[in-house]
Amino acid sequence: MGLQMLINAILLGGLYALMGIGFSLQWGISGIINLSYGAMVILGSYISLEFFNFFHIDPFISMIMSGAILFVIGAIIYRGLLQPFLKGGIVFTLILTFAVRLIVENIILKVWSADYRTIRLTYAGSNFQFGDAYVPLTKFLTFITAGILIYLTYLFMMNTKTGKGIQAVALDKEGAQAVGMDVEKMYMINFALGTALAGLTGSLWASIYAFSPHLLGPIVGKVFVIAILGGLGNIWGAAAGGLLLGFAETAGASFLGSQWQEAIGMVIMVSVLLWRPYGLMGKKFFS
Amino acid sequence: MSNNKKVNIFLLIIAVVLFIFLPRFLSGYWVRVITTIFMYAVIAQGMNIMSGYMGYLPFGNAMFFGIGAYVTAIGMSKGLPFLVVVPLAAIIAILFSILLGIPVLRLRGHYFAIATIGMSAAILSVVQNATEITGGAMGTTLPIIDKAPGITYNYFYLAMLGLMVITTLSLHFIIKSRFGFGIRSIKANEEAANSMGINTTYHKVVAWAISAFFTSIAGALYAYWMSFIAPDEVFDVMIAVNTIVIMLIGGAGSILGPIIGAFIIELFTEVAWSAFLEYHLAVLGIIIIIIVFFVPKGVTGTIGDFVKRRKLRVEKKVSI
Repeated sequence: MGLQMLINAILLGGLYALMGIGFSLQWGISGIINLSYGAMVILGSYISLEFFNFFHIDPFISMIMSGAILFVIGAIIYRGLLQPFLKGGIVFTLILTFAVRLIVENIILKVWSADYRTIRLTYAGSNFQFGDAYVPLTKFLTFITAGILIYLTYLFMMNTKTGKGIQAVALDKEGAQAVGMDVEKMYMINFALGTALAGLTGSLWASIYAFSPHLLGPIVGKVFVIAILGGLGNIWGAAAGGLLLGFAETAGASFLGSQWQEAIGMVIMVSVLLWRPYGLMGKKFFS
Repeated sequence: MSNNKKVNIFLLIIAVVLFIFLPRFLSGYWVRVITTIFMYAVIAQGMNIMSGYMGYLPFGNAMFFGIGAYVTAIGMSKGLPFLVVVPLAAIIAILFSILLGIPVLRLRGHYFAIATIGMSAAILSVVQNATEITGGAMGTTLPIIDKAPGITYNYFYLAMLGLMVITTLSLHFIIKSRFGFGIRSIKANEEAANSMGINTTYHKVVAWAISAFFTSIAGALYAYWMSFIAPDEVFDVMIAVNTIVIMLIGGAGSILGPIIGAFIIELFTEVAWSAFLEYHLAVLGIIIIIIVFFVPKGVTGTIGDFVKRRKLRVEKKVSI
């Protein structure tokens, strides 16, 4: 019982970790609270669904496509909508990203309806035993893939010129500008990378859970918690935050009942905001 | 100048009197639509004092609307009369705003907005799960007034109109007072305000309590008016989003802005619902984008700019 719960929490937390990183990067580095993040995740799920229905492509492969498509969408949204209003204050970016969410939600409702959809993989039922606990194969694969993607994001940020540029911009915007960096381009790539990660998460989500437009709100709630737990713009922090939320939700669901899941996350988030506003793993000066 | 002021007051009194007699010429449907507009104007004023004047965005302000509605529903199901329940609802909302505000109002910008969303969601979960008291996620009913629907709708029309006028007038006097200057100095520069000897914590908490007071009374009236409320409806984030849009289009930080904005947005939404039923979400999204792009200062701000430019032009001509 105990081991099974632990494994469930870790498997759930891995997906949450990947989901939270994109949001955390967008908020921490580009300075945008993306209320359309949930819509981007679910859009990724639907893209995988279409690839599966028409070409029978596995979501673990079609996630590359949904990541690419959402990278482009993210870049367009940033350049077209958000960039002119960054100086206008939080009211504008919050309300604009919410407008994007409404439009995407309407498109999803119109094209795919409000019903829950699933992708039925042939190997969905298989699982293997670990001690006295069962590990479903798809959830295990999702966890491994999420881990690899998180590591790739980290490598991108640390080793490529663009990634280092993004970090430089996050540390000191004026300084980066002074040495001739295209600051706006860095912000745009970072924002688009965030939506791409949302799309990848959506594809992985589609391979294990059912999805529908009803999830848009709850997903945004979860990524808020993860990003704030980990400290904004911090990849490993967000990963830890995701795992922590996975544990909190699994434990909360078995001790209090699953209807309290959302409240547990929110209470954790508000308490962290009050006691450590720079996140559990964040450093003080970063906030 | 004082002559101008007298004319303005006179015009406003005429407008209020016109609105009092308006329902005689309208169908029941439009009376309900305009009552909703008044309600949104009140909630938007609550948003306006926090965001427009003080620079703090309470994204979860719908929680006070929900608290007002639910206290009314629970109180009336216990047999208390409406006029006793409304002050009770307001007091409970103010208590919540003070208890939550003292810790949360230390946060700035994004963090404050997010913390209020979090608290709103947490309260929603509690209301949904405390089934014995609140009726749970299915919602709860209130006693229905024993009169013809047309007459009761007129009552609520007048009550909402009265609430809107009282809210706007009190906000006008609050903003003009010493306290109001304190609030506005917080928006301009909080550190400077603090070092000038303004007790910023006190100002912020009281401003949020005022916001909670009016929002909760709007919620109480709404609950009695609808005679059925459900948690995900009265704690809906969309209420806050709508009020932010209303405040933006009317003009944040102006006293008549929220009323003008409420009329524009609600009438537009009404048209959108009837004309593009299946696309009303997308239409609302596109309207938001258009507003932000073309009238970011809102109607009152844009008109104000126009008047200023005109005055400058006239002054130039005179000087030549």
